[in-house]
Amino acid sequence: MREQTANRIFDTVNFIVLCVCTLICLAPFLHILAISLSSVRPIVSGQVSLFPVELNFEAYFKVFSDPAMIRSLGFTILLTGIFTVLCMVMTIAIGYPLSKKKLKGRKVFMFVVVITMFFSGGIIPEYILIRNLHLLDSMWALVLPGLINPFYLIILISFFNNIPESLEESAEIDGSSHFRTLFSIMLPLSLPVITTLSLFYAVGRWNGFTDTLMYITSPELYPLQLKLYQLIQNNMITELMQMEGAQMATVVPESLKAASVIFATVPILIVYPWLQRYFVSGVMLGAVKG
Amino acid sequence: MSAEEEAILFLPRHPVLIEEATAVSMTNYFRRYWQLYALLVLPLSYFIIFKYGPMYGIQIAFKDFNFFQGINGSEWIGFEAFKEVFGMRDFYITLRNTLMLNFLDLLVSFPAPLVLAIMLYEMKMVWFKKLSQTILYIPHFISWVIIGGIVYQVFGTQSGMINNIITSIGFDAVPFLTDKNDWLITYLLVGVWQSAGWGTIIYLAALTGINKELFEAAGIDGAGRLKRIWHITLPGLKPTIVVLLIINLGHMISIGFERPYVIGNLAVREYADVLSTFVYRTGIQSGQYTLATVVGLFQAVVGLVFVLGANYASKKLTDESIL
Amino acid sequence: MTRNMKRKRFIGSKTSMLVLAVACSLLFTACSSKSSPNAAEGTNGGGAAAKPVTLKVEVFDRGNSPAGSTITDNYWTKWVNENFGASSNIDVEYVPVPRSEEVEKLNVLMASGSNVPDIVFTYDPNTFNRYAKQGGLTDVGPLLDEYGPNLKAFLGDDVLNYGKFEGTQFAIPAKRSNTGKYASFIRQDWLDKLGMPVPQTTAELYDTLIAFKEKDPGQIGGQVIPLGMTIASAQYEPLLWSFIKTMTEEQKFTLTQQLGSNDYPILLPGFKDGLQFMNKLYNEGLMNKDFGLDKDKKKLTEDISNGKIGFFTEDDVNIYYENGTYALLQKNIPGAEIAAVDVFTNEEGKHAKPKYASNGLYIMIPKSSERAVEAIKYLDWMASSDNLFQLQNGVENENYTLVEDIPVAAENPTVEATNRMFNAGDMAIISNGKQLGSLEKNLKARAFQMPKAFQEQVAVAQDIANTDTIDLILLDRPIEAQTKYATTLLDKFNEIIVKTTMAKPDQFDSIYESMLKDYMSSGGQAILDERTALYKEMKSK
Repeated sequence: MREQTANRIFDTVNFIVLCVCTLICLAPFLHILAISLSSVRPIVSGQVSLFPVELNFEAYFKVFSDPAMIRSLGFTILLTGIFTVLCMVMTIAIGYPLSKKKLKGRKVFMFVVVITMFFSGGIIPEYILIRNLHLLDSMWALVLPGLINPFYLIILISFFNNIPESLEESAEIDGSSHFRTLFSIMLPLSLPVITTLSLFYAVGRWNGFTDTLMYITSPELYPLQLKLYQLIQNNMITELMQMEGAQMATVVPESLKAASVIFATVPILIVYPWLQRYFVSGVMLGAVKG
Repeated sequence: MSAEEEAILFLPRHPVLIEEATAVSMTNYFRRYWQLYALLVLPLSYFIIFKYGPMYGIQIAFKDFNFFQGINGSEWIGFEAFKEVFGMRDFYITLRNTLMLNFLDLLVSFPAPLVLAIMLYEMKMVWFKKLSQTILYIPHFISWVIIGGIVYQVFGTQSGMINNIITSIGFDAVPFLTDKNDWLITYLLVGVWQSAGWGTIIYLAALTGINKELFEAAGIDGAGRLKRIWHITLPGLKPTIVVLLIINLGHMISIGFERPYVIGNLAVREYADVLSTFVYRTGIQSGQYTLATVVGLFQAVVGLVFVLGANYASKKLTDESIL
Repeated sequence: MTRNMKRKRFIGSKTSMLVLAVACSLLFTACSSKSSPNAAEGTNGGGAAAKPVTLKVEVFDRGNSPAGSTITDNYWTKWVNENFGASSNIDVEYVPVPRSEEVEKLNVLMASGSNVPDIVFTYDPNTFNRYAKQGGLTDVGPLLDEYGPNLKAFLGDDVLNYGKFEGTQFAIPAKRSNTGKYASFIRQDWLDKLGMPVPQTTAELYDTLIAFKEKDPGQIGGQVIPLGMTIASAQYEPLLWSFIKTMTEEQKFTLTQQLGSNDYPILLPGFKDGLQFMNKLYNEGLMNKDFGLDKDKKKLTEDISNGKIGFFTEDDVNIYYENGTYALLQKNIPGAEIAAVDVFTNEEGKHAKPKYASNGLYIMIPKSSERAVEAIKYLDWMASSDNLFQLQNGVENENYTLVEDIPVAAENPTVEATNRMFNAGDMAIISNGKQLGSLEKNLKARAFQMPKAFQEQVAVAQDIANTDTIDLILLDRPIEAQTKYATTLLDKFNEIIVKTTMAKPDQFDSIYESMLKDYMSSGGQAILDERTALYKEMKSK
């Protein structure tokens, strides 16, 4: 009986704490949403908190009627899709062999990878490399340099390592090739981590824009986040505009910024709930070590 | 010493196995394992081209970098730039702050997603679990510029939301953003808020690997919930925790630019000025790429030492390692 | 790494490396062939007479292109190519550079040695000095004489001098149409309610601020902020500079610290008194407690428009824009009235305040450019006949109408007309602000851009901004320490203001001393030494 009460207390506390955390995480999103739906006066006067004041849909009309914005969304989805698939292929291709303790040279390869977590050539040689490969101002400049994230690779290897060796060995004894073991045993068993890493890669690409600032000059190849960044960053400081003698007509209203944030965030936000099902179906076997 | 040379130094410690093996077993070995090596070809060439290819840029640290002479054309200056950086007071202050903020993060922000993931895992209402999971990771998607604005509105002294409440019940306003010690708390809280939900994802993925039967067995034994978490859930997460911890330790000396920059302000610069902002200011903004490269190289060497150390310790203590 | 792998005779034999390399190169050619045609590449068609040469011009991208146009393809890019390009057989191509990453991107472009536009520019004088010092810029002096007579006449020697590096014309500075910066603003309705006159001196202002705080004429409870302060220069500069004492020429020259394009008074006599005054205001609750967080004036704007602030200094016309701060205040608080005033006084009783240098952007032609002549031609074309006027004002009757030779923004312009002007300011690189031939006209034109209801007050504010301004110190040659330490010192300068202002009164001195010491050792002393040496050198000539 005491145990049941304890369990109930645990559940209640758990529920309440999670509720609070959830609300805290939701609030800023609501705030941005509210701003995107409010009019100029209450926004600039700082009167908008969680609910729209002087409801106004104009910002969304503007976003959705801007062909550049729609095209940018399309491009970003394409870019993220291609990037994520290629990343996963490459990461699995290196992760699987490196999870084999028996593989000769494994440590050296790992070392080659780990070094790149810390050492890099810096922005100038990287730019020159992209230029020499004739990738400047092309989508591939945003795809190829980031194909394997060593950190994600290490996570993948650690998950592979936790799959009982007996399974692989039995497959090997059956004469199954390494490729087949990978496809028929390792990958299905690793679905949750593969989903997770895909999400990491996808979100990283979706949210990243610093490389686009350097490598992309054609507006057709602007990902959403770059447009967003420019909206938010530029014209932020009125002083700068005064100095430049610029005209006020160029200022982007706060509501449009907020609407663009929503526009650029929601598509990637809904990816995770959709992926969550793989988190359950991946469970086929216990793989608890120790 | 460049990164390449660095790598060479380390390599001989791992014995090259080929030379030890006999020719016959070599052939056998390759017959069995060629597929694995084939898989490695593309990824390794990726690393060589895109990661090691540009590493000649590290020599900037030893050159008086001139934009128009390029990397190869600039003049060698030996360790001049190192002397300059190590002679700067700001370097030591920002180094100290970087280590301090990262250490506090390790204490607070590192365990947060773990706790949150376990709480979610223990949540029995499936709809609520899914809903809160989805919402908890939203902050990760809000850019720092926007977070900065929100932080100001929430934590401000004059009219921040929290201080409005504090003053309305008769207490003095707390300078969450302008007193350096209070600011540390703000910095940590915002960090946890921003990253904890996102961090749960990896743990939740790892939790799917735990054998449900173990729980059932424990349930029959009548083990309490906390006990069950301690004896089954946490051990199940151990490999993931260790891997994340090792990588985290490797990054103790590097720090993202945006979080300290956006949450920090002039009043707390004593604590908020970190290596990344230092590099941005003295290296990038001032066009002194040599200084930026020197600091980067320093961070890389220290980071590598840290990660190898952590890896070694972990291997001895927990039998888990990343290398 | 490659070398290393070979040496170890590890599985990576030469052959497999070769296979690898081939595989990769295949991969990349496949990739790049799919990429979109690279606009920035290939300018090697220069020789043929029939084929137009390509002139690549940097343009700031602010991400504000309206629907239907892009930063590289819009009304003005077409207009330039039709009006300039066609007649001179030059294809003008625009290379966008993100405004916020201006210097970073330019640095990388320069360092990579190719793809560099033929015309680049920056607002950062340190970047200009650095490029000039490292020998990466074309000497445009002779080119200007030969191909840029209109441009030279337009800019004048005063402006052109800013583009000289140790005597050589390495940059073409843009001309600023108005160098006035700041005015002060006060809630006239509050003064009226209290029966107080407009304060005329700093001392009177202090009494007024106290009255605002104690009597709360706006009846907004405990929330009144008598003095609106931020850590943006428009708020602290007018106050601090008014405390600077009269100096000898030598003091002025040696003690001023130029960080970026502005002069900073940190070492000037009286600066500490200014800080002390701010400290007093802060500790007496006369200014915003969070001023040190407000870098972008967002909070200030919010507080002004909510009627919480009694007095503030600001860029002269900033509050008057359509739907701007003042308009919002009037909406939020009916009857609220702001008057532009000139209050802070120095020891001579003058309303001394900083101003802009007469130059704006630094326009440069990289040494690697093969289109230096065309570049000058382009800029010269922009300066000749009414091209600049068109570029800055748009199409008559659609964007503006002429009143006494001064363009007045058209009322209710079409969307097309409004959108047309989104990048006009950034295309007209040779000028900052509208140029109509005289300061008087320029100011009038600027006022005419503002909402009708405010135009008279804008004129007053502009006059204030141009009254008793402090000249910037011109240097014969750049101070190297300034180029090197400017960004670091600028941060420290702002930090000193925030920390000393927020200090408890009894700690003011010790905090000021220790921070100044840090400032000096972080480069301030080096600048001082170099300026002192330069002054001696000048005098000995």
